[in-house]
Parts: sequence; structure tokens; C-alpha cells
Amino acid sequence: MTLVGNLSDDQAILAYKNAVRARTLDLKIISAQRQGIIGFHVPSEGQEMIQIAIGMLADKEDLIFTYYRDLALYLQRGVPISLIFDQMLGNSNDLQKGRQMPDHFSFKEFNFSTVQSPVGAHLPLTVGAAYAMRYNKRKGIVITTFGDGATSTSDFHAALNMASVYNLSVLFVCENNGWAISIPTSKQTRADIYKKGAAYGIPGKRVDGNDLISSLAGLQEAFDYVRSGKGPYLVEASTYRIGPHSTSDDPKKYRVDEITDGSEKDPIRRLENLLLTMGVIDSGFVQSTRAQAKEEIDKTLEERMSITPSNPSTIFDDVYENSSWIQEEERRDSNVAD
Amino acid sequence: MSQINLVQSLNRSIDQLMAQDERIVVMGEDVGRDGGVFRVTDNLLNKYGDERVIDTPLNELAIIGMATGMAMYGLKPIAEIQFQDYIFPAFDQIVNNVAKMRYRTGGRFTVPLVIRTPYGGGVKGGLYHSQSGESYFVHTAGLTVVTPSNPYDARGLLVSAYKKNDPVIFLEPKRLYRAVKTEVPDELFEVEIGKAARLKEGDDVSIITYGSMVPTVMNAVEKNGVNAEVTDLRTLLPMDVSAIIQTAKKTGRVVIVHEAPKTLGVGAEISALIAERAIDSLLAPIVRVTGYDTPFPYSHEELYLPDEKRIMSAVNRVLAY
Repeated sequence: MTLVGNLSDDQAILAYKNAVRARTLDLKIISAQRQGIIGFHVPSEGQEMIQIAIGMLADKEDLIFTYYRDLALYLQRGVPISLIFDQMLGNSNDLQKGRQMPDHFSFKEFNFSTVQSPVGAHLPLTVGAAYAMRYNKRKGIVITTFGDGATSTSDFHAALNMASVYNLSVLFVCENNGWAISIPTSKQTRADIYKKGAAYGIPGKRVDGNDLISSLAGLQEAFDYVRSGKGPYLVEASTYRIGPHSTSDDPKKYRVDEITDGSEKDPIRRLENLLLTMGVIDSGFVQSTRAQAKEEIDKTLEERMSITPSNPSTIFDDVYENSSWIQEEERRDSNVAD
Repeated sequence: MSQINLVQSLNRSIDQLMAQDERIVVMGEDVGRDGGVFRVTDNLLNKYGDERVIDTPLNELAIIGMATGMAMYGLKPIAEIQFQDYIFPAFDQIVNNVAKMRYRTGGRFTVPLVIRTPYGGGVKGGLYHSQSGESYFVHTAGLTVVTPSNPYDARGLLVSAYKKNDPVIFLEPKRLYRAVKTEVPDELFEVEIGKAARLKEGDDVSIITYGSMVPTVMNAVEKNGVNAEVTDLRTLLPMDVSAIIQTAKKTGRVVIVHEAPKTLGVGAEISALIAERAIDSLLAPIVRVTGYDTPFPYSHEELYLPDEKRIMSAVNRVLAY
């Protein structure tokens, strides 16, 4: 899809709405976590624009490997908030049967892959997936997201090298939010992240990940390159983690916040101001968008909380296609009711 | 039927499977042009081309990670790690992605991947071409771990491993690669995963072993005329518990032989299974004959490897108890 230069009002409004929904969802989950309703959360606050830009440019047949901090990308791609809550609650409707921590989604039906905790460990998988897609003559490319911390892992370097050696259609997008838990990017690497592809013959560029238009413009070039079959491409999106790494840490301990929720530098506020100035939306629209998001999310959480928890005996399922005697014996001995 | 060794046996199975299933790709270091450093994948590149027989850069985590992505999206990779000693960079991929994929996605993604790798000593390979690391993998739910001890089982187990919709660690005892040639059928056949082989019936003592130690055990028992019952596990995860318990109950005396170090080796699990389920039948302590709890030495590897003398000493101790 080509958007830059002919971004319609409707597309801009949808992007704005999804950014607001993602932010509202983040804040709701954090409050639910504090109330003990949800166990854990990795907020995406501040990174909505680059995530939405990826969602806008990706085609349906493109396969996306996300990391654990990509809420706005899921929403932009049409994942219903109900499914997100089902996973976070680990209820009986959760597609993964309550097996994973919150934010470790696998929305296969929306052509997302699966999220793991070990940082960067999905990156080599993207290469294999792209190989399989080409082998099977499937349309589409593979897109993957990861944080700045991931660029220090062996997995990142291994994946870049393999994608390049086999000339595979993988678009690597680093969401450089400045922080890997408590470590600033300056302590993670002395080099520019987007230049790291050069060692493997992969072009790269940096985009302003806090600005929707810049993100779209920068990504468009990268998408075009990868779609044309020229090989992989590395984008570094400069963005900012407004919140903590997760609900388990307090950034006050290790940094002074540079951007805060709702301030003039907040990426959502920047888009809002742009759309207001251009007359695409008015202040009444801003108010109603926020109110609608809040209502939708409050209502959905309440509704999903009433779904029964997953069946305890399923903890023994899906270790293998057919359980061995070991799982069956442990299931029997565990006294977990069927 | 053909008289073939273990390498030829594996090569034939891979070749015939590739001929009938286009989803199979073979990948690893030197598997193409060189046919693998032990020639298990010899001539496959010529036959199937470099899209299906992939010489990879030298990075084990990349091999396994890429193979995992392929397996999740419709291919059936057979990945080779040149020596099991070099699998450790891929350990995170194996334990955290490969083994857990089906479970963590509620069964919506699977990794039908065979990871082949030569293991064990006896080829003067020193510390880094000799290790027996099966316990690392047997400890990980989601994996299946097999190890053949002869050309027939190698051929059949590989076919069964390919047919599984789950990942299999396929450990190849490199010392036995060219040790013997035996009669092996020319057409594809399976050897059931999870099922041990009773190599010899006997009444006085049960010897439970697998992989590279099987010929050593058989030789010791036959040479010394021991009325021993010998079991070749063939699959290490899940182990054939009924075969283990059956033989333990029958003779009441058990010796376990493996090449890997003793501490938390597979023998420890076998001992525990017997202690839990057949302790009343035991007439003597269970004795393990294993590699030592040292790194694998280069100059004196014959001292490290269990041999006839050590096996017989254990057997005699158990018989005399």
C-alpha cells in the first residue's frame, strides 16, 4: 500500500483513533494490574506512531513477528480488544490457553506469529519464515519488530546475516525507545542501530518513530525495497518509552522522564495537533474519541472478566501432538480435575 | 536388503524422504558441497539443489532459529549441527522456542523439525568433538530425544522422527558411523519412537544401555558368557518405562551403561524409575557404568569410555551381591 503523499483524512483519523485506543488500553491494563485483575503488563505508551505506521503499510498477506510491546500495531491490524484481554486474563477464551504471560500474543488469524520473552529470539525465526514463504511461492513479506536491547543479542546479528545471505524479504524494524529496562541506548551500543545492517550488506535508515507522517515516509521506502525482492532492510525508529519497562519496575529509579503522557511532545498529541491544525478533526472529536475508547475498553474488560478461567487440566496438553506416558501419568497424579 | 553402515543408512532415509516430500529441506554447516563432515548428507545437493540442501553460515543459533521459522510455516527441515559439542549457541532456540512452541501457542504453531547431530567419543576428538550431552535435552519437555545404535534403527528412527509433528533431537553415535555394516531393507520403514529393543534375553542381570555403548555391552556380555538381559533404549525421551520395569523385575539386578557423565545422566532417571516402581524386586543395588564427571580428555579417551573391564566389574559386583 502506498500512503505517503496521498494519506486520506479517513486513514489519518483511523490511525489517530487506534493510537488513542492503544493508549487508553495501556492505561486501563496498568490500573487493572494494580487492582490484581491482570498479572503483568509491558506498556507500549509512546511507541504508537511507528507501530501504527507499520500496520498501515503492511498488507494482509504480510507476516508480522512482533515483540512484547506492540499494542497499537495489533489494533491497527484489526485485532479486537476482547482477544487482547482474553490473553491478558488467561481465560478459557484465550487462544493460547492461558499458557503465556500477558503481552505474549499469538494472533495467528491476523497473520501475526508468536511472542516469546527471551529478547530477540524471534529474529532468526523470521528468516526461516521468509524462506518458507518464498519456497512455497506465497505472496507477502515478513516484518519484525524489536527493541534497542535486542540489537545486542546474537540472535539479531545471526538473523541479519542469514536474511542477507539468502536474500530474503524481511523488514527489520527496531523500535528504539531509548531504554532496555534501566539501560539507555547509549550504554547498549556506541553505533547507530540503523547502520548495523551495513556489516551484512543490508541498507538501513532512521525514521522519527514519534511522528506518523515521518514514520510512514521512512517505512514506505523500506517496504518498497523489501517488496521488490532486493533483500532485507533495517529501519531504526526513534521513539520513546513513556512508561516503565513493565509493571514490575519504576523508571524514577534510573531516569528522568523526557516525554510524559499527554504533554506536547507525546506522539499522540503531536498527531492530534497536526490534525486539528489541518482542520481534519476538531476538539469535540478529540473528546468523543477519548470517551469512546474509554467506554469500549471499560466495557470489554468487564465483559471478558466474566469468562470462565481455562480448565486446569489443560496444563498437560500441547506439550506434544500426542502426550507421552509422562504427561499422562503426571496429569493423573496431579489430582487436577478434568 | 543391502549391507550398509550407519552413515549410508541415514543418507538413504533422508534421500528417499526428500524424493517423496518436497517440504523437506536439509540445512547445516557443510551439508551441501561437502555432504556433511561425516558424509551423512552426501550427494543430496546434486540431487535436490541448493534451495533444498542449504549450506549455512557458521552459526548454530541461526541454523536452528531459521529451521524453526521454516517448520512453523510449512517446511519440514532436517537441520544438522556438525558436532553436538557445538549445539550450545542454539540452546536458547531449542529450549525456549523449539520445545515450547506448541505449548505456548495453545497448539496453533508446531515445529516439525529434526535436529541431527553426532555425539560421543572414541574418535580422538578431544573435549569438543566427543561430548554426550543427551541429558540437557532429555530434561526439556516438548523435545523428543532418540539415539540409534545400529544401521537398521538409524534408518527407521529417522523416518519416524520425520513423521512426527514435533521436534526431535536425533543423536548419532559417531563412533558407530562406520563401525559395522548390517542388512537393512531398501524400502522406507519405521522404528517406533518411545520403544526400547530387547537385544538379548537373560535371567541373571539386566543391562540397560543405548547409543554408542550398545556394541561394547553386547561384546562384554557375549565374551564373558553372562546370562544378561540387554535393553537398548533407542529413545531417551520419552523412555520406554515398561521395558525398563519389566527387565528390572525379571532379574532383580540392574546395571546401566552410558557414555555421558554419571551425575544427572540418563542412568539417574532410569535408577529413579526403577526405585519408584520396582524396588521390591531388587536383589542388589543399581549400578551405573558411565563416562566420568570430568571434561572429555584427549590423550586418554579409552580411560574415559566405559569398556568391557568396567562393565564386567559392575556386572560381577551386582551378581555377587
